[in-house]
Amino acid sequence: MWQEIEKVYYFIKRDMTSFSTYKTNMALMVLGALFGAISYAYLGDNATMQSVLQLYHISFKDYLIIGVAFSTYIGQALTLVQATATPWQLEEVLVSPTSLGTFIIGSSAWGFIWSTIVVVIYLAVGSLAFGVVLSINLVGTALVLALGISTLVGFSMIGAGILIVVKQGDPVTWLMGILTSVFGNVLFPPQVMPYPLRVISFFVPQYYFFTCIRLMMTGQAVQAILPDLLILALMCAIIMPLGYIVYSTCLKKARKNGTLSWF
Amino acid sequence: MSSGLAIETQNLTKTFKSRDSEVRNSLFSRNKREVVTAVDHLNLEIRRGELFGLLGPNGAGKTTLVKILCTLFPPDEGRAFVNGFDVARQQMDVRRSIGALFSVGERGAFWRLSGYRNLEFFSAIYNVPRSKRHERIIKVLDLVGLKDKAFDRYQRYSGGMKRRLAFARVLLPDTPILLLDEPTVGLDVKSSRTLREFIRNDLSRKAGKTVLYTTHYVEEASQICDRIGILNRGRLVACDTPESIRGIVKKGEVVEIRVKSILEAQVEALRTIEGVVDVVSELQDSVVGQWRLRLHIENIGSLPLVLDFLLREKIRLIDLKREEPTLEDAFVELTGTGLEK
Repeated sequence: MWQEIEKVYYFIKRDMTSFSTYKTNMALMVLGALFGAISYAYLGDNATMQSVLQLYHISFKDYLIIGVAFSTYIGQALTLVQATATPWQLEEVLVSPTSLGTFIIGSSAWGFIWSTIVVVIYLAVGSLAFGVVLSINLVGTALVLALGISTLVGFSMIGAGILIVVKQGDPVTWLMGILTSVFGNVLFPPQVMPYPLRVISFFVPQYYFFTCIRLMMTGQAVQAILPDLLILALMCAIIMPLGYIVYSTCLKKARKNGTLSWF
Repeated sequence: MSSGLAIETQNLTKTFKSRDSEVRNSLFSRNKREVVTAVDHLNLEIRRGELFGLLGPNGAGKTTLVKILCTLFPPDEGRAFVNGFDVARQQMDVRRSIGALFSVGERGAFWRLSGYRNLEFFSAIYNVPRSKRHERIIKVLDLVGLKDKAFDRYQRYSGGMKRRLAFARVLLPDTPILLLDEPTVGLDVKSSRTLREFIRNDLSRKAGKTVLYTTHYVEEASQICDRIGILNRGRLVACDTPESIRGIVKKGEVVEIRVKSILEAQVEALRTIEGVVDVVSELQDSVVGQWRLRLHIENIGSLPLVLDFLLREKIRLIDLKREEPTLEDAFVELTGTGLEK
């Protein structure tokens, strides 16, 4: 009996020792639980529904379906470069006469095509089965998507660069995921939160993305979102090149250290 | 770089900072890093069309060298040229000139795709012209014996088939230089021999490709390579034809003795006898306790001392014969380390 208990102890010790070597990942998992609780608390609050009606003049159901539908793009954009960081595939591609840019775009293209299909399904089911009212400004929607996705791809490159160096638990993607769920205007408007928390959302590109996309999906003119769109464009102009620099630098560092295929 | 050379390294050096232990890498401790020199001022010349074997024990720097040559690792010092292109400055030109197979190359494939679809993807990223892709894919699948399994999912392939598909991928772009890092790892004896013959006869002799072939296996290298380099701790300790490298130990003698029952302490004592350079012991038959001792001695005059010792220790001699030194003997002499057979 004691022998069996001792065996279980060594199983735990083995896994704990292995797990504890991934320090970043461990910290992120603990903090993720904390932020998850905050976002679900606001989602179930009555004040949230009233706030949606005041801000967007649409029902909470419409607000949620549009938000959740377009969050598939956000999830895709945030993780697309990490998905290409699979060490063996990275090595195989890096010894071929293919540029890094082609590699990143090529690796992510299908993800975006699939996201588009998912968004169409969400909106079609929402509209046909649940009466979500849609009046799509196509040009405005395309513009917001291009700026929003490009900005988040920039963050994804930063995250992938860090992942290549630290190997597991990319804090940037985690942070952006948390920011999306709590401050990103996906499940509830940040305006329902206390002012110090609400201010954080002004620095989160997802907030501007979801604000603009909802207005473009409900028939508003581009002029109505111009200030938010300009802020999103500014963020894109900063984050995209920064992301490329960080990714290239981290890749260079991993190649120099010989740790490209270590995971 | 001379136009007759396919690969050249000049004082090539690569160091890594490595974490020194699992314990130090755990949550509550700081990482202590030590510097490891993987490739140490290496000067190497491989001629065009040559099949060059690079032998070395684990950690000798073979894989690091291959990864530098295929532009994955930048060198810290010195220079390396592949097909006349500098690996640090002309990376795309180098990549267009090589096919590289890593010792875990099969992991780079896509498991849910068929062998054919995997090669179709890689033929695109290796710039194989669209009009020639199908023909080329079928040709390389045929060459590695996977034509009949072309449309089976990769995940259903056996380990040997995965390895062969990785090799097919290397052959796709039809490049003049092939860098093969332990290509026969994971293959059974028959597949391994077939692959070696293919490399020797088809790629090297018929197609005239330059092949850099790294391996642990002495016999593999001696059978197929035109020249062999022995790498030890990042340094090239010998570089010549297999015959010439064997000649390195010809200044001594190799004697094989079979005995019944010998203790480890007695083997150690044999090593201390004057004129005995090294003794390699191997238990041949555990039931009757038969051992094979391979003695490298300075000259035949040392043999009576060895026989006296066996008599004194009452060790029963079964058989004794003089042998030609092998490449492994040369390797042991050069590096002080044995290799896998």
